[in-house]
Amino acid sequence: MSGSVGKSVPRLDAEPKVRGEAVYGVDFELTGTLYAALVLSPVPSGRIIGIDTSAAAAQAGVRAVVTAEDAPDLRSGLALDDEPLFASDTVHYEGEPIAAVVADSLKAARRAVSDVIVNIEESPPVASLEAALTEGAPLVHENWETFAPVPGLPEWPRQGNVVGEMTADPGGVDEAFAGADHIVEDVFVADRQYQAYLEPKSATAIYEEDRYTIHVSHQYPWNVRSRTARALGVNPSRIRVIGHHMGGGFGARLDVGLEPYAALLARLVRAPVKLVFDRSEDLLTCNSRENAIIRIRSGVMNDGRIVAREFLCDMDCGAYATDTVFLISIPIFLAGSVYEVPSTRVVARAVYTNTTPTGAFRGVSGTYLNFALERHTDNLANTIAMDRREFRIRNLMDDGHRMLNGQILTDAGIMRTAFAEVEAVAPWADMGKGPNRGVGMAATLWLTNPAPGQVTLKLDVDGTLGVITGASEIGTGAVAMGVRQIAADELGIDPRDVIVTMPDTDVQGHDGGAQGSRTTHIVGRAVREAGTGLREQVVRAGARLLGELPDDVEIGDGHVSVKGEWNRRVTLAEVATQALYDVGPLVASGSYATPTPKYDPDTAVGLLFPTFPTPTYHVHIAEVEVDPDTGLVTVLRYVVVQEVGKAITPEGVIGQIQGGVAQGIGYALYEGLQIGEDGRYRQRTLEAYRVPIALDVPRVEAVLLEHPDEEGPHGAKGAAEPPIVPVAAAIGNAIADATGGAINRIPITPEDVLDALAENRED
Amino acid sequence: MSAEFSMTVNGRTVTVDVAADETLLHVLRDELLLTGAKEGCDEGECGACTVLVDGKPVDSCIYPAPAAAGRTVSTIEGLVGSDGSLTPIQRAFVDGFAVQCGFCTPGFVMTLTALIEENSKPTERDIREALSGNLCRCTGYSTIIDAVLTATEERS
Ligand code: FES
Ligand code: FES
Repeated sequence: MSGSVGKSVPRLDAEPKVRGEAVYGVDFELTGTLYAALVLSPVPSGRIIGIDTSAAAAQAGVRAVVTAEDAPDLRSGLALDDEPLFASDTVHYEGEPIAAVVADSLKAARRAVSDVIVNIEESPPVASLEAALTEGAPLVHENWETFAPVPGLPEWPRQGNVVGEMTADPGGVDEAFAGADHIVEDVFVADRQYQAYLEPKSATAIYEEDRYTIHVSHQYPWNVRSRTARALGVNPSRIRVIGHHMGGGFGARLDVGLEPYAALLARLVRAPVKLVFDRSEDLLTCNSRENAIIRIRSGVMNDGRIVAREFLCDMDCGAYATDTVFLISIPIFLAGSVYEVPSTRVVARAVYTNTTPTGAFRGVSGTYLNFALERHTDNLANTIAMDRREFRIRNLMDDGHRMLNGQILTDAGIMRTAFAEVEAVAPWADMGKGPNRGVGMAATLWLTNPAPGQVTLKLDVDGTLGVITGASEIGTGAVAMGVRQIAADELGIDPRDVIVTMPDTDVQGHDGGAQGSRTTHIVGRAVREAGTGLREQVVRAGARLLGELPDDVEIGDGHVSVKGEWNRRVTLAEVATQALYDVGPLVASGSYATPTPKYDPDTAVGLLFPTFPTPTYHVHIAEVEVDPDTGLVTVLRYVVVQEVGKAITPEGVIGQIQGGVAQGIGYALYEGLQIGEDGRYRQRTLEAYRVPIALDVPRVEAVLLEHPDEEGPHGAKGAAEPPIVPVAAAIGNAIADATGGAINRIPITPEDVLDALAENRED
Repeated sequence: MSAEFSMTVNGRTVTVDVAADETLLHVLRDELLLTGAKEGCDEGECGACTVLVDGKPVDSCIYPAPAAAGRTVSTIEGLVGSDGSLTPIQRAFVDGFAVQCGFCTPGFVMTLTALIEENSKPTERDIREALSGNLCRCTGYSTIIDAVLTATEERS
């Protein structure tokens, strides 16, 4: 093998998956398992008058009915400790857990759920951002002041229904507006988006020897450990989390879900307990991408310069704060970047409503922020009658660009290369021509999540390499391909001779989870750190076996050989076997965390996520056709140019681009998860919530722009998350171009398209 | 009300005794421990539970188990040869990066196995239409479609 990095090596977990042998979290069973189901609040807001569990408890096969009385009296959360396990006095959203039933079978548990009688005095829900922010609006949590930030996090501005506010105002923005030739103002609205991973959420727990073991398919087992520990009021080391194959996640499996419930129930009934959501429960309770309202106003000069901007964004976190108080930091990285805007003010708020708590979904908040920014960019160009592409290039950032948090992007000029690459593949002048056709472009930067990782490498006596890591394989191939290939190259062996563990928090060092494209970059780098240590040991042991000095031997092709004498060599198996009784097993570890980029903390207040580490650069272009009779949109062509640092497995990266764009097309055109005035979701099944099918998605063309990163393994940066970010914007701009009307909502429905066409006819 | 009946599953005759309203998916997964067919929705929308009944793909989550009495059921576990070899479709999925999380994969493989039984040279359009009942949230479908085109090219 002359190195597998940079080659498309088929992933080893594909075989068990195509055979149907792979055991996912939902397939996993322990002997003697009991099954549980949750009683979920049927109403979005109200006071619990009473819970009668007697009828349910009397059902055949029922082992226990559990309520808040049986759970620790604690609130916890990702950022703010505001969420109890079970609602006790009040319910705050439809779907909030009120009780749990444990029974001999899943059927019996689900049947008994309907026998738990919950008496709730309903109150009118705070069902929308507008309602929550109205003067004198009812408070979603009257006791909001008693909620404390999680230990270690400083307080931030919050007040009533506004659970977080981030403000960045450098001063002088109003003066800059006063000097502008034109001021353009837009309002954009985005619905929620459900992750709709194919494997519904589940958890299986067992309580033994005063410890909880939880079997999961989860993106972030270490977070399950710490969040479950805090929900139950025990030390994290009392919790062990073991990962299994995972049927997608896209962010929805980053926070805890069913795990603390399964753990609590397992202790109460002293038996293994499995909790599984059916699809409608999963959809109802899932921390979907938040709905949001964005108001954006910019001052532009006749020569095409943008001179001033105000960017206001309200994000709906639902009934609990979850991670949204972090997400309100993201606008500061996007509102003044990609295009230079010298004077920008940003205010973003996370807002409580009586709806399901929202949370992470691939491209967190970036999807609608980019939609707003890039739709607005088109409007700015059109206002001064400048070509939309030319306007973008005119304002594009360059090397040394300063973001609004004061962070400097030394290599931002790569964006110009990305625009040029798009032009080479899909010339602007040729796209979107013909009746009812349009073209749209969108560009963005995105981060690589910096959370730490750790790897132990061990060379086995048969020459295989064990990679012991807590990294989770979410489906992207970051572990199955990226980490494995990087590890193989450390010893010059075939990736098929590399064995990677599944996550187990008792066994491996902390891992920051399958999030923000971090795994290949961070865990891959930890592999390289460990590899340095292991290679040193292998060289020493090999030299001893060959009767040479360490400096005179080298590792390659699965052997240690004498430099310049390739036929004097020993296999890695021989080296490991001999070393075992000479010096002990050959094992080395490596850890890595991204250094925090320099930034200026005085640029903003309430900035809980202060930097945008290891940024990557992206340009997308879409060509669409709209049907003037039905309003249906066909995506004719979609091209992505993505800066990736280094593609460890090019086909793997392309697969992430194709999948991310498909999710983005769903977001742009079909997938609205809407809240009615009654505070309930309108879409409640996979039939009503429309995910793109094979007929909806074109062949996405991808160009990988390699531009190695100093810190990344072989130069790799994050790649899997960002392809979803600019899609709604590129498609929205193309539809606006095709129709000549305003496109200001996500999803863009056929009615919106027909309205846009009608608006154009009136003008 | 329970129902006792026999069916042929992956070439073996099995007799089961289950509730009359039980679905084929639950019988396969919970009684016969064939967990290759997945439950993605239990409402006939996602196709993760697709198996073949008398060669035709069905959503086993909404297929009443007793309706399979006397019929031939094939699941993903029954596709591989006795030597463990993969079918051309399975092989093309592996080699063509058509598997990401893989939770949808058994359903796709079963639907496509039935498709190429009927139509050994499907066009891209045929494939996309045949797949209209199978959701994949990870891949964006292109690699899956290419895998079928590769497998059918190599077959003929
Ligand atoms: S589980 Fe049968 S179609 Fe989804
Ligand atoms: S590979 Fe994950 S749903 Fe298809």
